[in-house]
Amino acid sequence: MNTECVAMLLAGGQGSRLGSLTFNNAKPAVLFGGKYRIIDFPLSNCMNSDIDVVGVLTQYRPYILNNYIGDGSAWALDQIQGGVHILPPYMGQKGGRWYSGTADAIYQNLDFIDRFDPEYVLILSGDHIYKMDYSHMLAFHKEKEADLTIAVMDVPWEDAHRFGIVNTDEDHCIKEFQEKPEHPKSNKASMGIYIFTWKELKKALQDDAGNRESEHDFGHNVIPALHESGKRIFAYPFSGYWRDVGTVQSYYDANMDLLDTNCDFDLSDRSFRIFSNNTSRHPQFIGPQARITNSLICDGCIIFGKVENSILSHDVVIHKKTSLKNVIVHTGAIIEDGAILENCIVGARARIKGDARYITDPADATPEIHVINN
Amino acid sequence: MKNAVGLILNMDGEDDSLKGFLQHRSLSTLPFGGRYRLIDFTLSNMVNSGISHIGVIGSHKYSSLVDHLGTGKEWSLSRKTQDLSILSGSNNYHIGRLIKVNLRNLQNNRGYLDATAAEHVLIATPNLVTTFDFRHAYDLHLKNDSDITLIFKKDDPLYHLKDNDLYLEFSKNRVSGLHYKREHTTGHFFTEMFFVKKTVLEELLDLSERTGDWDLMDMIKYNIDTLKVFGAQHSGYIKRVNCLENYMKASMDLLEYDIMQELFLGKNSIHTKIKDNHPTLYNDPAQVSNSIVGSGCTIDGIINHSIIFRDTQMNIGSHIQNSIIMQRCEIGRNVNLNYVVMDKDTKISDHTTLVGKPHAPIVLKKGTVI
Repeated sequence: MNTECVAMLLAGGQGSRLGSLTFNNAKPAVLFGGKYRIIDFPLSNCMNSDIDVVGVLTQYRPYILNNYIGDGSAWALDQIQGGVHILPPYMGQKGGRWYSGTADAIYQNLDFIDRFDPEYVLILSGDHIYKMDYSHMLAFHKEKEADLTIAVMDVPWEDAHRFGIVNTDEDHCIKEFQEKPEHPKSNKASMGIYIFTWKELKKALQDDAGNRESEHDFGHNVIPALHESGKRIFAYPFSGYWRDVGTVQSYYDANMDLLDTNCDFDLSDRSFRIFSNNTSRHPQFIGPQARITNSLICDGCIIFGKVENSILSHDVVIHKKTSLKNVIVHTGAIIEDGAILENCIVGARARIKGDARYITDPADATPEIHVINN
Repeated sequence: MKNAVGLILNMDGEDDSLKGFLQHRSLSTLPFGGRYRLIDFTLSNMVNSGISHIGVIGSHKYSSLVDHLGTGKEWSLSRKTQDLSILSGSNNYHIGRLIKVNLRNLQNNRGYLDATAAEHVLIATPNLVTTFDFRHAYDLHLKNDSDITLIFKKDDPLYHLKDNDLYLEFSKNRVSGLHYKREHTTGHFFTEMFFVKKTVLEELLDLSERTGDWDLMDMIKYNIDTLKVFGAQHSGYIKRVNCLENYMKASMDLLEYDIMQELFLGKNSIHTKIKDNHPTLYNDPAQVSNSIVGSGCTIDGIINHSIIFRDTQMNIGSHIQNSIIMQRCEIGRNVNLNYVVMDKDTKISDHTTLVGKPHAPIVLKKGTVI
């Protein structure tokens, strides 16, 4: 078992900006690309990076997430002693409390990490869609003899103000942080992926826990404090597909990227696969009058209607005389005879009546995305 | 069903018409319905009926069976309370005719029978396409205190029975006669699923040791007056895949929504080995109708009335109809296929046209490149 680097996945956030998609489900467990859940991406990345120990910090609405992670075997994280561990808040001798921030969540689980005695700790979050071999980042971290390495990527300058921006020297050493700056000095955005040298992280978290002013957040408190104290912080440059899916619009756009042939994010690439916890379902049944174009369809779907530029999760039933265009449908939803849907996200097990009409003006280049749940 | 153990063994042999598919696999692991193997139906039916210990007797071509079943996890048979045993394989004793249940195959696995505490054995063939809840038949078996309960179905001309298939004759509600089709037909045929008391099975095994008659169905047939044999009716959909024609028919039946609904959308599902595939991508030129499609495919062509298994790649300008395309096939551009059955890993290059006949489809063996 490889315990040189242990991964800690922050999966406790509510994801309130995803609206009703997270009413009874934690954000990392929200469906993506039909069959996947967001957490498949960091977990599959761990698997593809030979990381054998992953702690998943859960807090908000954890049932679906816990159930989905199961014994971790879907991501080959079911080995004896290692593997995936779900870490909810807990009671101790002095009582217990909720995780009050990303750093606090890790702080409360210092003994979990100590148990594996790693050299490095990888901090991940459960709301990004990307493929990344963390072992390259770890090699970079070691090469730079860094205390902390932050994965960064170049974003378009006009979007830079929405990100945490870092400014580096030629050696990738971070000289300055700017959180959502009005006037960004660079376009290198933090991806929310950190590798810490464990002893530095442990000390930083202990210091942070004693600081009453702190919000116990990595981005706002822990990392700036390390920077101020002169630690070696480096930016690991990543180039490739990476999307934050924290809002309805960004979630929708990232899903639709999968239907865009010009997009280089390829889920069918066998050399770096994204795994998921699959259950047995019947194959897709495509009825005589069905018409499907440019769409992703999962097992268990039954389709009698017209589906265009859409993504259907498992067990979706599309009755006849229906028309779906630019729609994401989650597991088990039923679209009844005659419904017409455009630019929507239909929640899991929703039943859409035949008289439903969600039609957008074709002239509107950026129509609002409706989230339909019932 | 705690008191019954399941035993799966092929009662139909391997018909010559299926030879093309069975060079490297047994009939039980013949791919079916876009993602399944034939044995999934019998195995899932047993599991869904509450049978927790199941033994499978394979043929000498074991690797695909072992690869498919693994530890039985996908059928919930890898638990401390439920298990799947892959038993010693059968020998195809072909002395002039096919023996449906060869007792030598059970004799070879006597240890498995001896070790089970169950008092009843459910024996079924792995090549049935059906969803069947054995509980009702089992209750009848217990209520009648039967030695043997044969599950039968009303005769159906579409069923395409063979000369050595068996028909049941009833007197009152008991089975009073068993007849091979070549001898005599009645309105009820044997589905190749039955319950037998373990003690009765053991007696018959001992008897066959002495007499040298190894055909269990023959022994039941000739001892029908002394054995207590009852029937339990199967009233739903059932097809037995015992030749290419029946394989085609059973496959195409899935495209009838009613049948598909009965097989796959009921309370109990048919379990199979799980693969990590991406969802199937239908590109802009794709036109798919009246078909079953597995996951992991990329489709750019026109498909109607066909069954497409997982991981198939189909290019632009191609047209598939009335065909079965098994796993990981690649179909080039402007290919035309009608009544073709392609085994796994087959590749068809651009501008190829293959047209078979409804009763004689073109069969392409595993790994063929055209």
